[in-house]
Amino acid sequence: MKERITKNLYKWFDERIHFDDIIKFAAKKYVPVHSHSIWYYFGGVTLFLFIIQVVTGILLLLYYKGSEDLAFESIQFIMTKVEFGWLIRSIHSWSANLMVLAAFIHMFSVYFTKAYRKPREITWVTGMLMLFLTLGFGFSGYLLPWNELAFFATKVGTDIAGVIPVIGKPIVEFLRGGEDVTGATLSRFFGFHVAIMPGIFVVLLGIHLILVQRQGMSEPMELENQQANARKTMPFFPNFVLRDLLLWLIVLNILAILAVLFPWELGVKADPFAPAPAGIKPEWYFMFMFQTLKYIPAKVLFIDGEILGIFIFSVAGFLWTLVPFWDRKTMRGEKNKLINYLGIFAVMYIILFSILGWVL
Amino acid sequence: MVINKITLLIFMTGLLSSLLIAQKKVDQCYNCHQSNGDRQAELFKKDVHKSKGVTCADCHGGDATKADMDDGMNKNAGFIGVPKGDAKSEVCGRCHNSSTEMAKFNSTIKSGQLEDLKKSSHGKLTIKGNERIAQCTTCHNSHGIVAVKNQASPVHALNVVKTCSKCHSDKSLIKQYNPSLPTDQFENYQTSIHGKLNSKGDANTAECASCHGSHLILPAKDVKSKVYFSNLPKVCSQCHSDVSLMQKYKIPTDQFEKYSHGVHGVASLKKGDAAAPSCNDCHGNHGAAPPGLESISKVCGTCHALSADLFSSSPHKKAFDDKKIPECETCHGNHEIVTATNQLIGTTPDAVCIKCHTQSENTKGYYAAAQMRKLLDSLTTDEKDAIRLVEEAEQKGMEVSEPKFKLRDVRQARLELRTIIHAFNQEKFAEAASKGFALTSEIKAEATSAVDQYYFRRLGLILATLIISLISVALYIYIRRLDKKKT
Repeated sequence: MKERITKNLYKWFDERIHFDDIIKFAAKKYVPVHSHSIWYYFGGVTLFLFIIQVVTGILLLLYYKGSEDLAFESIQFIMTKVEFGWLIRSIHSWSANLMVLAAFIHMFSVYFTKAYRKPREITWVTGMLMLFLTLGFGFSGYLLPWNELAFFATKVGTDIAGVIPVIGKPIVEFLRGGEDVTGATLSRFFGFHVAIMPGIFVVLLGIHLILVQRQGMSEPMELENQQANARKTMPFFPNFVLRDLLLWLIVLNILAILAVLFPWELGVKADPFAPAPAGIKPEWYFMFMFQTLKYIPAKVLFIDGEILGIFIFSVAGFLWTLVPFWDRKTMRGEKNKLINYLGIFAVMYIILFSILGWVL
Repeated sequence: MVINKITLLIFMTGLLSSLLIAQKKVDQCYNCHQSNGDRQAELFKKDVHKSKGVTCADCHGGDATKADMDDGMNKNAGFIGVPKGDAKSEVCGRCHNSSTEMAKFNSTIKSGQLEDLKKSSHGKLTIKGNERIAQCTTCHNSHGIVAVKNQASPVHALNVVKTCSKCHSDKSLIKQYNPSLPTDQFENYQTSIHGKLNSKGDANTAECASCHGSHLILPAKDVKSKVYFSNLPKVCSQCHSDVSLMQKYKIPTDQFEKYSHGVHGVASLKKGDAAAPSCNDCHGNHGAAPPGLESISKVCGTCHALSADLFSSSPHKKAFDDKKIPECETCHGNHEIVTATNQLIGTTPDAVCIKCHTQSENTKGYYAAAQMRKLLDSLTTDEKDAIRLVEEAEQKGMEVSEPKFKLRDVRQARLELRTIIHAFNQEKFAEAASKGFALTSEIKAEATSAVDQYYFRRLGLILATLIISLISVALYIYIRRLDKKKT
């Protein structure tokens, strides 16, 4: 009887969604197994952390009030009065940071294994755009508790955009919703954080995931020349999916430990009329850029130091995003050591300048 | 021996040169003007400057050696006639602003008065904008100037008050410069102890210059002014801490010492708190006098209004009046008022209540004091417990901004309770105390809950980690089996 109901239910859905196709597709899908297989999992970890962000973010939205007068107090309320509100907020903050970290690892692993090469150019570009959006999520979300550190960090961060000639001032005014960081900026950032950016992100994520499924996992270039029967693989379902799930559980455990043992602090409510506290620093993932801007002299030849810094980072980011299109050697199936050297330099640069930013 | 000879030589040279100056300065101007019966010349006869050999020409210009009027008052010889405006003071300043010039006259008077005058309130421009508000001659006169210690001087201790009041009691004049400046200083001064003694011919008592200075007079709001709130106690103490001077008046000399250790003195002198009372806030400034027995509470009540009101309607008011004992001072002292602690009330040896209330005498107050102290101590202990609990929760990383904020209310409730003491009413006191107790128990409950929550979170984490770890291990084993099955 029970079996018959299940069978009928399955049939009902299958007639409408064509489950069989999906099952056939999953059954035939294999994931390459090699010494670099570990990197395949970081995309999944990033996705898992994004899901946590969405879930905790929605829960926070139930109580958060995005206005200058109430933002800080509402977070305070979440942390003290709402059942498990402290946990949700702490997980949201920690998960955001881990997501940025996982996204960076994922991006660099794809870069070093040259997985961006044909036919995965679009997957790479959408991934890069999602990375930029993730940083945008971090920047906009940082202001939402409306505390002192966030307020001044946003002020400094948006000030940097203002040095760009001609378009700098309009950009700052657009970001801030006026000349200064005010309640208007908070409302704007809230909008970006919970509506505009998630909307764009979901579209990009959809394209990214569909392409990953359509094209399968990229194999390292050296394996491409091996005979098909010499290549090791594992079934996507259930072997790879279960491994993914195991890693997700480990990440969840780490997240729980971090959220409980190191609860995310709220700090002091922002006072726009108070002087900026000493040692204002951006979030760790912006630190390398912030520190570079500090080291660049005020004038380099006839160019303003800050403008030069922003220009270099913009061009570097742009070229990095377009790497599948100018890395012609890889495109031809040849080894491109320059790409590796550039990647190593970028990783070392980010690590070194981030450490310098925190130490100095 | 050689040194003695040199000293003698210097002395003789000095004496000779001054005699020469006096001898050399023939004053034909004075001779003619005096013979004509000129009033200024008559006044100048007694002038201290004349005795020092200063001639008319030294101030008015011209040649004092010439008997002929045209020669003597020749403009080519520098004759300027009567100096006008600031030139009046500049003429005085030629000598009085230069120590070398003053030394020529063997004067011991300090120089620099003109510089001081320029920096003072009186050195500002008049409304016409062509000269200073006051010149040297405004206070010292122009002819017939005598030494300050000479009783005929307008700036002698017995005359200076009237001299200052010529302008400072002139409402229409003062209004032009500072409409908010009172013009009743002279009247007030006359009512003060200082004024009364001064009018009786006591030159030792304080007059205007004793407190405000003579040439460098600055507004009381100026931090450099002698009467700036934090400088004033020191100024008063110049006389009031002088044992030999005060002996005559039979008043103590430890007021400044006591004041500087008291809560008001510490606030004013060490913390620079302009709201803290200085000597003049209790004693008055121009009308300075010790507050009378009954007016003490009114004086203290200007700041401690609520305490004063409560006391006035308390049973102690009548008792104190009947016994003729000063109100606030009996319990709190006068100059050395220290921060009131719980020990001040009650029946312990430190408490002031036992001065009048004992177990055998005035017993009702004795037991009431003991009860009030008990409540006050309990609230203080409760407050400390609440602070400790909030701090503990905060150290554990819990969000306790709300109970932390409420701690301010407890402090406020404790201060209110201390104020309510002045009503000496047990019921009112207990009611105020209950407000504080309600707050402390609320905070303690919130802080305890935060501490409990901390441990609950730790326990929850252990359980969650354990469950997730178990599922992970099970999953791992399953994956291993799955892989083996495949191989």
